[in-house]
Amino acid sequence: MSDLLADDSEWADVVPIRQYENVNPIAPIFYSEEYKDATDYFRGVVKTGEMSPRVLKLTERVIRMNPAHYTAWQHRYKTVMALQVSLEDELELMDEIATMFLKTYQVWHHRRLILTALNSVDAAARELVFLKTVLENDSKNYHTWSYRQWILVHFNDEERLWAGERPYVEELLEEDVRNNSAWHHRFFVVFSSGVRAGDEDREQTLRRELSFAKEKIALAPNNLSAWNYLRGALEHTHTPFTTVTAFVEPYTASEPPATDVVDLDNPLPSAGAQLPCVAALEFLADIYEEEGGEKTAKAVEIWKLLANEKDTMRKKYWEHRIRDALQKA
Amino acid sequence: MAAPRASEMVATPTDGYPTATSSLQSDTEITIKSHLPSSGTPQIALQKKSHFEFLLRNLRQGLPERYTSQDASQPWLIYWTLHGFSILGAGLDDQTKKRTIETLLALQHPDGGFAGGPGQAAHLLPTYAAICAFAVVGRPGEGGGWDAIDRNKMYNFFMSLKQADGSFLVSHHGEVDVRGIYCLLVVATLLNLITPELLAGVPDFLATCQTYEGGFGNASFPGWAFGSDDTEATTPLSSPRDPTAPRPPLGEAHGGYTFCATASWVLLQPFIKLYHPPVPGNPLPEPKINTRALLRWCVQMQGLPIELGGFKGRTNKLVDGCYSWWVGGCVVLVETLLGLAAPHIAAGEEPADEHDEDSAKAWDDADDSLFNRRALQEYILCAGQHPAGGLRDKPPKPADAYHTLYCAAGLAAAQHRVVPSKAREKAVLLTWDPVQAHAKSGATYVSPSDVERETFEELRKQMFAHALSWSEEEGTTTYVGGAANRVNAAHPIFNLTITHADGILAHFYGQMPPSRYPPRGKK
Repeated sequence: MSDLLADDSEWADVVPIRQYENVNPIAPIFYSEEYKDATDYFRGVVKTGEMSPRVLKLTERVIRMNPAHYTAWQHRYKTVMALQVSLEDELELMDEIATMFLKTYQVWHHRRLILTALNSVDAAARELVFLKTVLENDSKNYHTWSYRQWILVHFNDEERLWAGERPYVEELLEEDVRNNSAWHHRFFVVFSSGVRAGDEDREQTLRRELSFAKEKIALAPNNLSAWNYLRGALEHTHTPFTTVTAFVEPYTASEPPATDVVDLDNPLPSAGAQLPCVAALEFLADIYEEEGGEKTAKAVEIWKLLANEKDTMRKKYWEHRIRDALQKA
Repeated sequence: MAAPRASEMVATPTDGYPTATSSLQSDTEITIKSHLPSSGTPQIALQKKSHFEFLLRNLRQGLPERYTSQDASQPWLIYWTLHGFSILGAGLDDQTKKRTIETLLALQHPDGGFAGGPGQAAHLLPTYAAICAFAVVGRPGEGGGWDAIDRNKMYNFFMSLKQADGSFLVSHHGEVDVRGIYCLLVVATLLNLITPELLAGVPDFLATCQTYEGGFGNASFPGWAFGSDDTEATTPLSSPRDPTAPRPPLGEAHGGYTFCATASWVLLQPFIKLYHPPVPGNPLPEPKINTRALLRWCVQMQGLPIELGGFKGRTNKLVDGCYSWWVGGCVVLVETLLGLAAPHIAAGEEPADEHDEDSAKAWDDADDSLFNRRALQEYILCAGQHPAGGLRDKPPKPADAYHTLYCAAGLAAAQHRVVPSKAREKAVLLTWDPVQAHAKSGATYVSPSDVERETFEELRKQMFAHALSWSEEEGTTTYVGGAANRVNAAHPIFNLTITHADGILAHFYGQMPPSRYPPRGKK
């Protein structure tokens, strides 16, 4: 195949620039002919500062071979803006490229630049839909989540953007309750990014979130994501851990309690739960430490159990917690 | 040291409720377990020679076409390989050093900073990799590379990336994230480019990247989109900034970002103390992070015995050898912030007289680290080594340069305890030459007042002394598989050997710090 730029009369006026002149580089990469050709011409247009339709084609060519080529992205962005090409078209092309190269920083950053330039809530709303399809295939993709969160705060539209986020998280956690990215997103929506419409009553919001976390813990108690959420919600709202003592205790026992009484505030471990749950033991020790006084000894007892039996990998850490608590006591 | 016992290996509980996450986890546990050496194997050897040869092949023969994806990360490939040699205890011949220096200089951008390849744009990440590679191979003087770094232009490049919220873009039109900030701070520290204007707002930005889990996300959003308690949305970027408005972290707590944010935070300690004194009425409130939560998050990332104690990068994700450094290596930084890393006796120091009797005991007492150093070594040795050479994420993945370095550095962090030594810091300060340090600065910055100048000079001195104070704590080394598995220690902030960090710092600050290993007065 010869569709090299070097053989293309359209590019005859550009002087290609080889990567290394007069240097015998260490650790060289064996590029394909096509890649070498495209990047030689790319260096040529960067040097002359050319921004033209053919540069758009060239940067796309480089990006398709190496989406992490941040300079190609940078030059592409400058060219898009200088030529005032349709940002919608650019975004459409990006849909394809993003789907191919999900794990690349630059793919997402370029979208962000285009969205910023578009400055349209309509476009932002469409982005949320697109991102949903991306997350269907890769529900923990870091860049995708980070970008989604940026869309939400940057365009900050309660009705059109924020309103769908909590139900969306619930959908995802329904599918996989251990998806930590979804848990983080929920925290982001409910607690970190200001107050959502309808959530103005903060006490009510906290109650709802505690119930949500508890219910998910009951389903699969050894799920650190859910425990971290519970912990985070309490800390963020400066609510004492003792608020949830009654909930935590049954998860620290070896067997679920024999009871027919249903306490909606404190759902019991599921039938399949593997107890005691290490995260619950840790939580209960934190509750005791918070209470202080005589309870410190009970915390120490749990930490010893964790250190020597239940969570020996973190022995040093649990011993540190004992020293730390006794020093403060 | 015997291999871990299979009897200890309880699978991660799934509570009779499997999901995609738990299924992937279970599969991984089975794979990892199958890579345990058969019972009765008394030693797990680090195949230094084959890892060395793996790296050498990259250097000598070059990298296969699939490395095209790293075309914009060329200095990284060089840094991973050369620092990998240093960790594994291999030196470099002069010809290789010369070629490396010439290659690196071809990556310097005419307007300052370093690029991922010749003719590419300058970027903070390759700048870090290039400067660290220079620390390994370079030297002062003609052809040595160090004096060919245009520090003045680099400083201007850094300042051109600075944002109003204290963060930095990684490149012009690039993204903001804490990796870039870490890279910038390390380079600015090593090259004597630190100024108050460069650091302004950086601690505040970092603090906003900490998530409710305790680790850090990749960036945060500037608060000006929000009213603090006002649900009325304000127009993005057009309203005046409300200092109490939320600045939410973007992205969940993650090992790589957590390391970068924590190492940056440790580097910034002198700046925070000097420029944010916690006195009433101070307009600059002291930025704070939740260090306890950070420690908890880091240790929670260490996998169970069935995962051989490797580290994960996020909650409910899989262990990966590279987090041996990003998270395992982060623990000592957090211990330092908590004041738990005061060494008993650091290498080359005399035990303090009044503690002569205790000191023997202190030397015996092996391990104050708050993560499981032995288990992490086992993970790297059993699961991290590729049989054909090089290190990896986990079996059955192939080895690559990135994982080879970060597994090796993680092994170093698990073998050696490197902590800030007060005695070393004092010794460095005794020989401090402020005139030289000032004259050697690469930054174009003029203090607005005499008082400010004094604070700035103090900042420079403290950052230098702190950087040089990190010392290996004697009597705390632990070699799983025996002393033949020893690798060299890495500086917990820079990820260079202590010798390389010392060398480049001394040069760019014009200092002659005392030797780390003075002759013993008595034996």
